[in-house]
Amino acid sequence: MAESKVTPAGIVILVGGVVVLVGSFLDFYKFGGSIGFSAWSGDPYFPITIIPVLCGLAMALQVGLTSFANVNLPDRVLGLGWNQIHLALGFQAAIMMILWILMDKGGFDMGIGFWLMLLGSIALIVGAFLRDRESAPAA
Amino acid sequence: MDGDKTQPTPGEWAIMAGGLVLLLGSFLEFGGDESAFFGKGLFPVATLMPLYGLAMGLQVALTKFANVNLPERILGFTWEQIHLVLGIFVALMALFWLVAVEDGGIGVFVELLGAAAACAGAFMIQKERATGAIG
Repeated sequence: MAESKVTPAGIVILVGGVVVLVGSFLDFYKFGGSIGFSAWSGDPYFPITIIPVLCGLAMALQVGLTSFANVNLPDRVLGLGWNQIHLALGFQAAIMMILWILMDKGGFDMGIGFWLMLLGSIALIVGAFLRDRESAPAA
Repeated sequence: MDGDKTQPTPGEWAIMAGGLVLLLGSFLEFGGDESAFFGKGLFPVATLMPLYGLAMGLQVALTKFANVNLPERILGFTWEQIHLVLGIFVALMALFWLVAVEDGGIGVFVELLGAAAACAGAFMIQKERATGAIG
């Protein structure tokens, strides 16, 4: 059986991607404490709410495919190495989720899905930085 | 990166114009009677678009016209790569906001136009500077 090549950074990214995905199906925001909308619902902020999900999916898929399915992906995409792609996607996911906290929420509260997505997005950017450090040459 | 006093290339003009349009568009009606920069329920998530555009436009303008020396790389990214990443994300966000805000107002379309210009400019400079990213 082939040995898994998944690194600690890869595990963090995989977990982050799954947490973001699961959270996206739970309540992103709620009105009056009872009526909830997921990131995928057609209400006010869809499809903006799924950008972090797409980022997380892309990152987790790349790690999963290369670590477990032995899929060979191109070394670079549009001139960007995979570590850079992970950093860019992780940053975009995390910054969007963090900015959502600062938004004027009017009559709604953030739901459990939002908090899971925030947590997962932070894991994604942490995983991306860890991955970048893992592949850096030792001093 | 050394400041560069040569005339801006078409890609650089597109980035500067796109950044300016993104900034101006953020003050126009965007989702009801609000603006992307100040609108309740929009700030600061929608504000990412003009901020990305501003960063792209400023980097080009400062190095071309003000001879400002910026570091060659930020977190391992060259400026061409930063433009490409920001250009793709700003275009994606503008497109998704267009879907999200029904009857969004003129600002939504102006943001989309600016994002398209910034993204196109980011791809154009890859060719102009022969980064090897495309083609």
